[in-house]
Amino acid sequence: MGSHAKAWLVEDESAREMLDRVLTERPFLLLPPLHRVPLRVGNVVELAGPSSSSKTHILIQAAITCILPKLWKGVSYGGLGHSAMFIDLDCRFDVLRFSELLNHRIMEAANGSSSKVGCHQKDSEAQFARMKPYNEELFALCMKRFLYIRCYDSSEFLATLKTLHYRLQKEREVHGVNVHLLLIDSIGAFHWVDRGSSSFPLEYDNRKSWHLQNVSEAVVQEIRRLLLVHPMLVMATKAVVLGNKYSTNELTWNYRKWSAVDNPYSRNITSDQQLPYREYMPAAWQSFVTHRILVRATDDDLVNGEHQNNSIYLLEWLLPPLNSLDKFTVRDTGVFILS
Amino acid sequence: MARLANLETEYPVLDSTVRNFCASHGIFSVEDFLIHDLYMLAAFAEQNNSSERLKEGIAQVLSIIDDMHQPWLNGMELLEDAKRNKHVFPTGIQGIDLLLGGGIRVGQLTELVGPSSSGKTQVCLRTASNVARNHLVLYLDTGNSFSPQRIAYFLGKTINPSSAQAKNQFLQKVMSNISCHSVFDIFAMFDVLHQLESYLRCQDGRGGCQMRLLIVDSISSLISPVLGSSSTQGLNISYTA
Repeated sequence: MGSHAKAWLVEDESAREMLDRVLTERPFLLLPPLHRVPLRVGNVVELAGPSSSSKTHILIQAAITCILPKLWKGVSYGGLGHSAMFIDLDCRFDVLRFSELLNHRIMEAANGSSSKVGCHQKDSEAQFARMKPYNEELFALCMKRFLYIRCYDSSEFLATLKTLHYRLQKEREVHGVNVHLLLIDSIGAFHWVDRGSSSFPLEYDNRKSWHLQNVSEAVVQEIRRLLLVHPMLVMATKAVVLGNKYSTNELTWNYRKWSAVDNPYSRNITSDQQLPYREYMPAAWQSFVTHRILVRATDDDLVNGEHQNNSIYLLEWLLPPLNSLDKFTVRDTGVFILS
Repeated sequence: MARLANLETEYPVLDSTVRNFCASHGIFSVEDFLIHDLYMLAAFAEQNNSSERLKEGIAQVLSIIDDMHQPWLNGMELLEDAKRNKHVFPTGIQGIDLLLGGGIRVGQLTELVGPSSSGKTQVCLRTASNVARNHLVLYLDTGNSFSPQRIAYFLGKTINPSSAQAKNQFLQKVMSNISCHSVFDIFAMFDVLHQLESYLRCQDGRGGCQMRLLIVDSISSLISPVLGSSSTQGLNISYTA
């Protein structure tokens, strides 16, 4: 008995070793344009923004970073090498654009490494041609790590979440790859449909009706349970309408509010935040979110060559509240931070 | 949604013990399972006498739920499906085709937004005439703006000047591929869409020309009366209790 008690006191690892272990198994993700706050598994990130503000693009970028390997045949791609799951509730996912972006990232990484060696122009072309079958093999490998599903209503969404645990276990057994990222496009997709579904008086007292509250609580509960067993980073987009939160007619953006970058004292960000949009998600989801970001498109364009006109987007961290606005633009190789 | 009692014939595991247990937790149909916590249910089942049978029942319901959602696809399968099935239809207007990267894509909803007299109906007519050469088109017209003369004009511009009879035949064939319905309120549109759905289901069996394009000109005049705007265009729908 005495030896057992002593065994408790012997240390397993020092704090530094523990930190090393945790940081390698569960690395911090710094995904541009979300690079200001490092994200880890277990975080739930909500990207809010009006229509066409590059929210889905940010998700796709995160997915590509996740599915690319860290190192492959000598070339460093800087990815995580894990699977990513995409639950499409908007049903607007464009796989051709996704594959284009993936190809651009692969080629950029491949070119980047070859240019580092200092090749001559002809040599680099030959090397590029030689690398083309590698690129296709790598492309196929990465695409197979991207898992996609569409849901047309809340019951399909709940059915997907409930059976996700077994699906992930099977994935792990068959491919030996863990899922690191769960992406949900438009968490508020069925909000109005569920809100409008009337509750019929049910004959039994303890029967739960198909209310918005019950559905969203069930969704949050399922994702929470899933995160316990399969630690993942959850990112969800949410479409909002910016403007005066009390107006119900034409909504106009109030740029004067946002030009307060040069006057930081005029913005009091307290814990009970003044959001620039009307929050419509139920409290269950709101309290589940650990990080919140607002993106929107500005009217400015970045002239990039004669034909390319990329619009500039503004990003703001609402939770944790950072007093900064990031500007970025979207290019084929990904997001390019401007300031 | 299927009540558990009705599922017993197909899945004998869901017998009365399982159903009574579920009923005691307020679960009477498969839909109720979706909003309940299945782990808690399994924990309660553990404490019950016939725990094995209850757990089998829960597992059976989980496999029923597994059929209730779309299949999971990986990226390669998605890409192959997009390349094989999701064709692109050129609209016939060079600028728009360039903007859209080839034309209108199957499986995507393309929205044309603009103030009045900005050419939206003309784009619709041009696209209809282009796609109707090889496929069937359904044109839902809310403002009497469909013009067969315009379609004939577009078609006449692009065919070779051969004999008048051949030209006529071609025109007839293409024009008969476009079916135009006038809808003036949202309920009429729902009716047409339901008919379209059943038509599309039996279309897959047949060969020949397939319906590939649905044009609605314009959706705003159908939706704004329902939303209650004070627009002067379009009907105002009044509801009686």
